[in-house]
This record gives sequence, C-alpha cells and structure tokens, in this order.
Amino acid sequence: MAATVLAAPAMGGRPPATGRIVLPFQNGERDLVAFPQKRPLIVLTSRPPQLETPFSVFDDGPLTPNDAFFVRYHWSGIPTTVDAQAYRLRVAGKVNVSLELSLAELKRLAEPLELVAVNQCSGNSRGYFTPRVNGGQLSNGAMGNARWTGVSLKKVLEKAGVQAGAVQVSFGGLDRPPLEASPRFVKALPIEHALDGEVMVAWAMNGEDLPMLNGYPLRLVVPGHYGTYWVKHLSEINVLDTPYDGFWMSRAYRIPDNPCACVEPGAAPAATVPINRFNVRSFVTSLSDGGKVPVGRTTLVRGIAFDGGYGISDVAFSADGGRSWSSARLGRDLGKYSFRAWTVPFKPATPGPYSLKVRAANSRGETQPMVATWNPAGYMRNVVETTNVSAV
Amino acid sequence: MRRCNFSRPRIPHLLLGLIVALPTASALEVRLPPETATFKPSDLPGYALVQRDCLICHSAHYVQYQPASSPRAYWEATVKKMQKPFGAPFADDDIPAIVDYLVKTYGTD
Repeated sequence: MAATVLAAPAMGGRPPATGRIVLPFQNGERDLVAFPQKRPLIVLTSRPPQLETPFSVFDDGPLTPNDAFFVRYHWSGIPTTVDAQAYRLRVAGKVNVSLELSLAELKRLAEPLELVAVNQCSGNSRGYFTPRVNGGQLSNGAMGNARWTGVSLKKVLEKAGVQAGAVQVSFGGLDRPPLEASPRFVKALPIEHALDGEVMVAWAMNGEDLPMLNGYPLRLVVPGHYGTYWVKHLSEINVLDTPYDGFWMSRAYRIPDNPCACVEPGAAPAATVPINRFNVRSFVTSLSDGGKVPVGRTTLVRGIAFDGGYGISDVAFSADGGRSWSSARLGRDLGKYSFRAWTVPFKPATPGPYSLKVRAANSRGETQPMVATWNPAGYMRNVVETTNVSAV
Repeated sequence: MRRCNFSRPRIPHLLLGLIVALPTASALEVRLPPETATFKPSDLPGYALVQRDCLICHSAHYVQYQPASSPRAYWEATVKKMQKPFGAPFADDDIPAIVDYLVKTYGTD
C-alpha cells in the first residue's frame, strides 16, 4: 500500500488510486485499498471487510458501479469461495414444503424482476454526529444505487406454501462469527412485508453477478429499507410463527420509537423499534467543501436525492445558507426506490463564500431537518447538507 | 477450550490460501488483501491482552477509528459486550487491564 498521505475532501474531488483519504471529522484518516472485484475504496475495517465508497463516485451517474459499491459485514467468517453449482437456498419453517433450491431452480421459479434501488447502511454518516457516537465512523459513502435482478421473495414463499399463523420470516447467509458462542447475523421481516412482492432474492446487480463482497451468489433486496435487512450470501429462509428474537433484531439496529427516531443528545430512548425505512436525503455531488466556482457565470450544480420509496417530488436548493430557496430540476426517474439526479443553475454575482444547501421532499411531504437530529446508535442521519464554496 | 468456526487470524494469509479447498470450475474464489492495522504498542499490561483477545474476531480498525473523545464508560461497556453476548473468551479479571489500555491509548480519560 502506498504510504503517501494525500488529504482529499470527503465529498467530490478524485481520490488517489490507492493511498490515504482524510474524512472531515476527528480521527478521519483512512486507507484506500482495492479488495477483490473492487476499485480502491475507503477501508473502515479490513477484517471483516467494511468498505466505503469515495463520495466522488456519486457524481458519475445515478447507478453506483459494482466495483465501487460499499461493503458491510458483521462477522469475519465470510465466504471467500462459493461454488455456484453446489449452492442451495433452503426455505423451511412454517411452510407446507421445505425447499432446497439450486441457483438454476431459483432463476426458473418465476419471471425475473428488475428494480433500481438504493441500499444504505443504517450508520451511514455516523462520523458527523455531534456529540460523536461510537460505532463505524462512516462518512457519506455507505450507500449505493443499483439495478437488481432476481425473483420476488413472495414467489419463493408461495412455492413453499406459507402456513396459517406465520408472523415473520428470518434470513441467514453464509457468513459466520469466528466463535461459536457469538450470535449469528440473522435478520427478520414481518410476514406481510416478506410477501409484498417487492422484497427480492437477487442474483445480479447492474446486469452482472453480485460481487463476492456484496453477497454472491444471492442477497435479499429490501427496497426502501436499511441495508441491515439485505442479507448477503442468502442461504436460509425460515417462516416463523413467533417473532424472531435474535441479537441482531432484539438488541441491535433499533431506533427510538417516535416520528423523528431521535432523542436529546445523550438521552436514552423510552422505547425502541427495529430500524426500517430510509428517511429523505439529498446531496450536492458536483461540488465539494472548499470548492471554487466562477463569479458572474452560471455553474450547473448536480446532485442526488432519495427516500424510502415514496418518490422524490421536490429538491430545493439554497446558495445563501438557507435564506432563499429555488427548485432544482429533477433528472430521469429510475423508480421510486432509486437515487434521483437533480441539477440547478448557480450564478454567484459577487466574489466570496457561498453556503450551498439542498433539501429534498418526497411525495408524502416528508423532508429533511435543518438541524441534525441525534440518536444513541448514530443511525439515519439526514440533516440538510451544507457545501461551502467560494466564488472567484 | 474455545471452538473456532474459522482459522485464527494469526495464521498468515498465504497459509490460509493453501488450506482453502480447491475450487471447482463453477466456483468464485477471492483472496482478501493482507491485514495491516495493528494495535499501538504500549507498556500497559492490556497491550498483550488486546492482541490475544480482540484480534480473534476483528482487525484493530474497530478500536483505531473510534473518536478520541470516547469516554472510559464506552470502552468498558464495549469490552463487556464483546465478552457477553459476543462470546469473546477472556476472563472477567482481564477486563480492567484491557479497558485501561484502550482508554489510555485511544481515548482521553
């Protein structure tokens, strides 16, 4: 690995091919390393691999390339060899017939679905929480948008035949904790959600096999929902007649049970629920903090916005720190679960600093807070982002 | 005696590669890059313990990248969480030394 230390902005700006990047929060120095099937990405942890997408990638287009897509594991016992012919997806529990599906059988089960959807880590942007929250200290790159191909989970469950009394479905993959005493990473969804026809068992991403580190050969795709549910190397589906109470549902990935999923900084929530749908977010991608724009000329500012699946209806842009706003022009609609590209012209009349802000709203009228909310796990950050540039 | 599902991290990656079963034609195989993060050397007794206990499951990054403002209470709660429910096989008696090393090396106590 290159030892050169190159300071690069967190957003925008080409990161070096390999080496170092500095994320703009205390203790934000990170390595950039190319893992298998990946370009150099920001290393949060090497074992297990947890890799963040350099933010400049999001300015390249609304779909995130597979080799730039973020990686998140919980346990270091990850598969490094998978034999596609020997692979089996088991469906068991409260079903009429237990299944052991080969990849070929799964692909023949029903008409394949294609869906563009954002996957985002629950703790994306945790490094920006004030006061700081412990856990993975991520910048804004633990998210990505891809075209997923697979079969609806509903078709798989219908093939097995869900029995009366089913309340949840649990999902496990090939990854394992290194010690047998540790709780395996298993997640669960309510039965109604599992049967909604949109949750998908996916085998391809952007038209290619899933990269190993994104769950080859199968992963769950749960559109509009945080990545914790998108179980990788999916190998076990269990239909349950009681709620699953494993560690990763009952103790981890829980948010305050109130509309903002937030509490006063430092406070403990009175009650919690499992994290679920994304809130609304938007980012400028074509300019980064400290960037320069020409005075008296129009710069077309580009960015992205997304939400939990109701669809982005408006993106407001301010060049004066939020005092006045104008609507950005929305780009092509790739579906309600996708990144929505937007552009807005920006013509600074005088030289000096400009505080750019962007605030999206969805079709339900949900938007982003001007002041960041806080919760003890550092999840769901969605404050209106600010990009400070100067006109010269 | 603890039981490991996977090879211990101190086995060099080259050796790990040799004990992986030979893949068939339909297999996808990847090789992960070598681990480079290490715990900061220290004369504190906890230095030996973190190398023995924490590296069983994860790279030193998990510690290295926490904010320097992390209080002693965070490190103590986290070390206890690693033991229970996460199953790290160290004794209760080792906890104070591990916490002391983490606070003094990575925090601001």
